[in-house]
Amino acid sequence: MSAGSPITGAAPAQAPKATPTLDHTPAQSVLPQRVPSMALARFILAKLVKGVLVVLCVVVVNFFLIRLAPGDPASIMAGESGSSDPNYVAQLRTQFGLDRPLPVQMATYVLGVVRFDWGFSYRMKLPVLQLILDRLPATLLLMGSAFVFSVLLGIFLGVIASRTRYTGRRRWLDSLIVGGALLLYATPLFWLSLLMIVLFSVELGWLPAFGMETVGAGLTGWSRVLDITTHLVLPTVSLGSFYMAMYVRLTRASMLEVMGMDFVRTARAKGVAAPAVIRRHVLRNALLPVVTFSGIQLGQLAGGAVLTETVFGWPGIGRLMFDALMQRDYQLLLGVFLLTSAMVVVFNMLTDVIYRVVDPRIAFEGGR
Amino acid sequence: MSGFARRFLRNTGAVAGLMILAAILVVALAAPLLFPDSPWMMVADPLILPFQDGQYPFGTDMLGRDIGAGLAYGARVSLMIGAVSTAVAVLAGIAIGAAAGYHGGWVDDLLMRVTEFFQTIPQLAMAVVLVAILTPSIGSIVAAIAIVSWPPVARLVRGEFLTLREREFVQAAVVIGQHPGRIMLTQILPNAMSPIIITASLMVATAILTESALSFLGLGDRNMMSWGFMIGASRTMLREAPWMSLMPGVAILLTVLAINLIGEGLNDALNPQLRHRGED
Amino acid sequence: MTGAAMLLVATLTPVASQTRGGTLNLIVQPEPPILILGLNQQSPTQYVGSKIYEGLLTYGADLKPMPGLAKAWSISEDGLTYRFTLQDGVTWHDGKPFTAADVVFSADKFLRQVHPRVRPILNRYLASVIASDDHTVEFKLKEPFAPFLQLFGTDNMLVVPRHIYEGTDFATNPTNQHPIGTGPFMFQSWTRGSDIVLIRNPNYWQKGLPYLDKIVFRVIPDSASRAVAFERGDVQVLRGGDVDNVDIKRLEAIPGVEHTTKGTEMYSTITSMLMNERKPPFDNVKVRQAVMHAINRDFIVRNIFFGIGKVATGPISSTTLFYDPNVPTYKYDPKQAAALLKESGVDVFKYPIKILNYPYGTAWDRLAEYVSQSLQRVGFNVQIEGTDAGGWAQRVANFDFDTTFHFTDQFGDPAIGVSRLFLSSNIVKGSPFVNNEGYQSPKTDALFNKASSSLIPAERQKLYSEVQNALVRDVANGYLFENQNVTLYKGEVHNLITSGVGTNSNFATVSLGK
Repeated sequence: MSAGSPITGAAPAQAPKATPTLDHTPAQSVLPQRVPSMALARFILAKLVKGVLVVLCVVVVNFFLIRLAPGDPASIMAGESGSSDPNYVAQLRTQFGLDRPLPVQMATYVLGVVRFDWGFSYRMKLPVLQLILDRLPATLLLMGSAFVFSVLLGIFLGVIASRTRYTGRRRWLDSLIVGGALLLYATPLFWLSLLMIVLFSVELGWLPAFGMETVGAGLTGWSRVLDITTHLVLPTVSLGSFYMAMYVRLTRASMLEVMGMDFVRTARAKGVAAPAVIRRHVLRNALLPVVTFSGIQLGQLAGGAVLTETVFGWPGIGRLMFDALMQRDYQLLLGVFLLTSAMVVVFNMLTDVIYRVVDPRIAFEGGR
Repeated sequence: MSGFARRFLRNTGAVAGLMILAAILVVALAAPLLFPDSPWMMVADPLILPFQDGQYPFGTDMLGRDIGAGLAYGARVSLMIGAVSTAVAVLAGIAIGAAAGYHGGWVDDLLMRVTEFFQTIPQLAMAVVLVAILTPSIGSIVAAIAIVSWPPVARLVRGEFLTLREREFVQAAVVIGQHPGRIMLTQILPNAMSPIIITASLMVATAILTESALSFLGLGDRNMMSWGFMIGASRTMLREAPWMSLMPGVAILLTVLAINLIGEGLNDALNPQLRHRGED
Repeated sequence: MTGAAMLLVATLTPVASQTRGGTLNLIVQPEPPILILGLNQQSPTQYVGSKIYEGLLTYGADLKPMPGLAKAWSISEDGLTYRFTLQDGVTWHDGKPFTAADVVFSADKFLRQVHPRVRPILNRYLASVIASDDHTVEFKLKEPFAPFLQLFGTDNMLVVPRHIYEGTDFATNPTNQHPIGTGPFMFQSWTRGSDIVLIRNPNYWQKGLPYLDKIVFRVIPDSASRAVAFERGDVQVLRGGDVDNVDIKRLEAIPGVEHTTKGTEMYSTITSMLMNERKPPFDNVKVRQAVMHAINRDFIVRNIFFGIGKVATGPISSTTLFYDPNVPTYKYDPKQAAALLKESGVDVFKYPIKILNYPYGTAWDRLAEYVSQSLQRVGFNVQIEGTDAGGWAQRVANFDFDTTFHFTDQFGDPAIGVSRLFLSSNIVKGSPFVNNEGYQSPKTDALFNKASSSLIPAERQKLYSEVQNALVRDVANGYLFENQNVTLYKGEVHNLITSGVGTNSNFATVSLGK
């Protein structure tokens, strides 16, 4: 078994060993079998403090990093207007506060952030927080649906594959699923999106190719939900299929690993039927690496959404980030980073908590 | 070693992957012989269909450039970016992970905080920002991919080192007073290599995918004919000339697939004990 | 306007047979950052804002001024006083009356401060602007500026509401999020990342107009998706730049789809190759001439821009006033290019050059690749440098490039849109659209300056003809081709393109029917 997150490739390679490394202080990983709520609360609090520090670090480092990029918002705006007046550029810089010393700008920004004032978008002339909150629901919807799609379908197919392999019946199904996952896993996401648009939207006309809903149709209630759902299909598949392939492989490998373990053999030797063994014993244990990986996936979805949102015209955060970067809209870009890194921290924390709550050793005891 | 080779060769998928990759590698190496002209050279009429003109079996693009030459030279760039960025990331990951895992204590704590920091920004977003800041070039793309790829290696290596550090043979080396650097290099690292090799093989695949994504977003190197660039360049003509984006897409797919198959084969062959547990 | 007073009376009477009502679906691309035309002049802002705001004048396809918020105007003999009589019964979208004070405030306070293109002109030429009464405005110039009357469209001197902006910080005024104009359509909503909706202004000063009930501008960031939206009928109009040129031929062929290249006369965009003339090899005029011979501009138009464009004969577009086709030509001839290089005595291979990529889409990437190959063929040592919009603007504004491309609008008159790229007084760092190439010629400087203050068209023509000959001989910059913009629209859309600003007109007379 082997698998990789879209960019890193590595994280899940460790996952099947059922020793997730999200928590890296060895002393902490030895927890009592039943987690007392006090310990859990302390654990969460410690994580929270650490998370806030990490997010602040991200903001400060990126603040300086972005300034290394050539050009600034004033020069870009002057460029776009076809202007020929250098005084105008200087005036814009003063107006944006870009003429002040960098440390002063940073201090102002960070002090603002801790008071939930995330600054002002130079280009859109709106508070950054408002711009981000406007786009957040669309991204959360897309992320959520891609997540659910990939997890559910991935686990389902992974279980089927491992079962057919384990029981030896219909092994072609296992090969088909594994082969399909391998292919999906090797396909460039944007390329797949383009092919899907041509096929399902242009040639067949089944699904809308862009946007989140039919603008100007004035739909309400269920017809609006339906409308958004049809718009959601292609982006969800595009964003989720890579991860779906991951879950198939992860689930299948993890299932097979657990199936080979002593307690399963014991159960089978006791005469428990195979489906029951799988439901009662194997799945619960095998899903731990899946839990670990899903935490990683959620964090990455916001970044991966850049491509999907571009191709499908989805009005979300990923696209906002890319535009802000290209326009050097510093504060907006920092705002997006702030939000996404906070999301990653929260997801990691949730994963840790969930992992601890369903610690494998507890389940193991029950299995024997 | 022969046991490893035998186990690897018994895996049909891995062998197929190896053959595909070997073929791609041969084409990449032979590109200057097969296509003496630069892949950017406009050699014929624009938009010749594939399989129409014996001289240009893969057809030509909108400027009359030979798509076959693009595919061959693209193989060089994609493989090179994949290999170099992975090598850089793996070396960085090993150095950081080894230091953290072996030393433990505050070194570990500090390095893991740094690693965590790098993992807090979604990776594609980080890569896009880095390339934009460093301005798009082969160097900046390799650097960006390496920078977003090393943290998982570091964690993996750290984990291995944490475990192996306690083993008898390492403790023995410590007792006889070997230099820590030597212990890490000669005692621990060789024993930690299998998961690193497996991970690295998969990172090559994702690096190729990442490069193509960057090119698609317009952040590729303008002087390098890469597959990602070819898809990005021809995606506007997806309907008029689908072959132009299909072929480099298939090339990426095949390469990534081959590397994944090899990675799996390596995994199986390097971890024979896993087979006993039903893993495959 | 030969100095004699001229008076024109509004003759805009709506055609009675038009169908009223309906929603027009358009694409705005990319999404504008803001809709206040004074604060942002990008094409998408123009597209939306031109329906909300108005200027004193509008312009026909021949670029002749026509009534807008002014129903009549006159120019004094000496060309220094412009007097406008305003329309009656005009109100702002918030119900407040529109008066001469709004015009004075807009020109004298608002635009002078915020409009990057207009403010240098106003600051140089405008002596005063006063409201003689509620319906009369008088502009007094310091010295004659021939194309002054070309400046009163929404692109340039639009009118903003004084009662909202006076005494506030223009950039952060809360009304910026809810624009208030006098135009036929009123702002209704803007869902960022998705759509902008305008609705009919029931109190529009032209009785019976507009015909449409609603205009929806949709935001679709991917060009292939935009083509699909048009095919599916989700939008009824595509304008130049909405889809890639490659898609246009296919979309044109769809039954019921109309197309036109009209409606861009005011802009007459031209694409040029800037060569940095401060350093070798491009400091040598023979090398620049060789570049012109080395590049097949027909190929560029045909294969990179898919036939949508026209090879330029010089730096003034054929649809701009005072264009003259009688200039030397550089035909595609690599041998001639090589000969010129030899003649120049410059060993061009010794001076590696980098083409700074123009980061505005795939066609521009192809252009850089094509030019790179063409120049290498005649002996240049060329590389392409990738960049994004921020990097490009900064590098070009600081003259930090070897060669690059840009396209610029000409705004009808060479004195507004062309001279800025060649006057040596305009070699000023800080903006990417000045004389960035560093062309210096006292002779053309003098010709340009004389032509912009002359009030006699025949004299101006003669001066501009001389200018064009000089610029072409010197290859002051590598004029490549005139960008054409194709507007595609479904047959049910009527009266879409009726003026020299095309889809940037106010759409009051656009209607939907069968």
